Amino acid sequence: MTALKKPRSIIQPVSFCAGCGHAIIQRLIAECIEELGLQDQIIACCDIACSEWSLDALDYDFIAGPHGRIAAVATGIKKVRPDKIVYAHAGDGSSYVIGLTETCYAAIRDVPITMIVVNNACLGMTGGQMNLATTLLGDKTSSSPYGRSKDSTGHPVDMLKLIQNLDVQFAARGALFDPRHIEETKRYIKKGFENQVSKKGFSVIEVLSPCPTNWNLSPVDAMKKIREENTKVFPLGIYVDREERGTGCG
Amino acid sequence: MAKSNANTELCKGCRLCIQVCPKQAIIPLEDLNKAGYKIIAINTAACIGCGMCYRMCPDYVFSIEQETKSYG
Ligand SMILES: Cc1ncc(C[n+]2csc(CCOP(=O)(O)OP(=O)(O)O)c2C)c(N)n1
Ligand code: SF4
Ligand code: SF4
Ligand code: SF4
Repeated sequence: MTALKKPRSIIQPVSFCAGCGHAIIQRLIAECIEELGLQDQIIACCDIACSEWSLDALDYDFIAGPHGRIAAVATGIKKVRPDKIVYAHAGDGSSYVIGLTETCYAAIRDVPITMIVVNNACLGMTGGQMNLATTLLGDKTSSSPYGRSKDSTGHPVDMLKLIQNLDVQFAARGALFDPRHIEETKRYIKKGFENQVSKKGFSVIEVLSPCPTNWNLSPVDAMKKIREENTKVFPLGIYVDREERGTGCG
Repeated sequence: MAKSNANTELCKGCRLCIQVCPKQAIIPLEDLNKAGYKIIAINTAACIGCGMCYRMCPDYVFSIEQETKSYG
C-alpha cells in the first residue's frame, strides 16, 4: 500500500485536547488541500473558539474571525479574492447559534466557499455549555447539569435539513467514530474543495465530532456515544448535491 | 511490506488507536512520554500496514512506511 504520512502543511504538534475530533478534521482538511495541490491558493478562516488552535498549526494564510462571524468573514474574502480557495473551520455554536444568520446568508447567497462545521454538541472552548442546536435531549452539560429538557430549551435542530431548502451546491454530514467514517468525511470535505475549484456554489460539511473534555467521557466512550446516540438525531450522508440533483440523505 | 511507525512523543494517551487495529498490534502501555501521557507500542511483527491507526489518531503519531529499516 502507499505510504501514509502527516500532511506537510501541518507544521506544529496538535494543541487540541486528547481525543478531540477537531484534530482529525484538521488533518483531513490539510490532506484534501495537498491532494488537490491547493496549498498556495488557500486563505483559511477559523473562529475564536477551539478551531483557532489550527491557526498556527497549518502553513496557510489564516484569519480568525470574530466568534460566530466566520461565514461572513469567508464571504468577504471570497468576494474580494475570488481567485483564492477559501475555507472556514468553525464550531457548531459559532455556525448554528450565535452565527446562524451569517451561515444562512452565505448559503442563501450561494457563496462558493467550503464551510466545515464541527458538531461537538456543546460550546467547547468556553466550558462545554449546552448548544441549542446540537445538544441532545437529556445530555448533561455545564449549563444543563440535570440534562437538557425540551420544556426549557426546546429540542436540537438538524441544520442541514434547514440548509437543504436553500439553493446550495453541497451539504453533507460525516462523523469520526471509526476509520471508515473518517474516510467518508474526507470525501465530503474534498468534494467541498473540488466544488470551489470548479467555481460552483456554497458547500457545507458538518462533522459529528467528540469533545471528550467537556462531555466528561474518555475519548473511546465519546466516540461510542456519537456512534450510538448522536447519529440517531443527526443522520449521516449527503443532503444536497446540486450536481447529482440529489436531495435525500443516507 | 508496509508497517506502522509511531512517534510516541506526540501521543496524548487517548487509546483510540487500540480498538481500530484489525490485528491487535497496538499495545497500550503504562509508560509515560515526556509530556506525561500514557503511550502505546506497535507489535511490528503483527502489523499489516493497513493505516487504520494513522486514520484514527488525532495526534498524528503514526506513519505507514515501506519496511526498509528496523523498527522498535
Ligand atoms: C461575540 C462573542 N461572543 C462570545 C464569545 C465567547 N465564546 C468564545 S468560544 C465560544 C463558544 C464556542 O463554541 P463552538 O462555536 O461550538 O466551538 P467549539 O469551541 O466547540 O469548537 C464562545 C461563546 C466570543 N469570543 N465572542
Ligand atoms: S475543549 Fe473540546 S472541542 Fe475544544 S479542544 Fe478540547 S476536546 Fe476539542
Ligand atoms: S490514537 Fe494516537 S494519541 Fe491516541 S493513544 Fe493512540 S497513538 Fe496515542
Ligand atoms: S497499520 Fe494497521 S495493523 Fe499496523 S498497527 Fe496500524 S492499524 Fe494495526
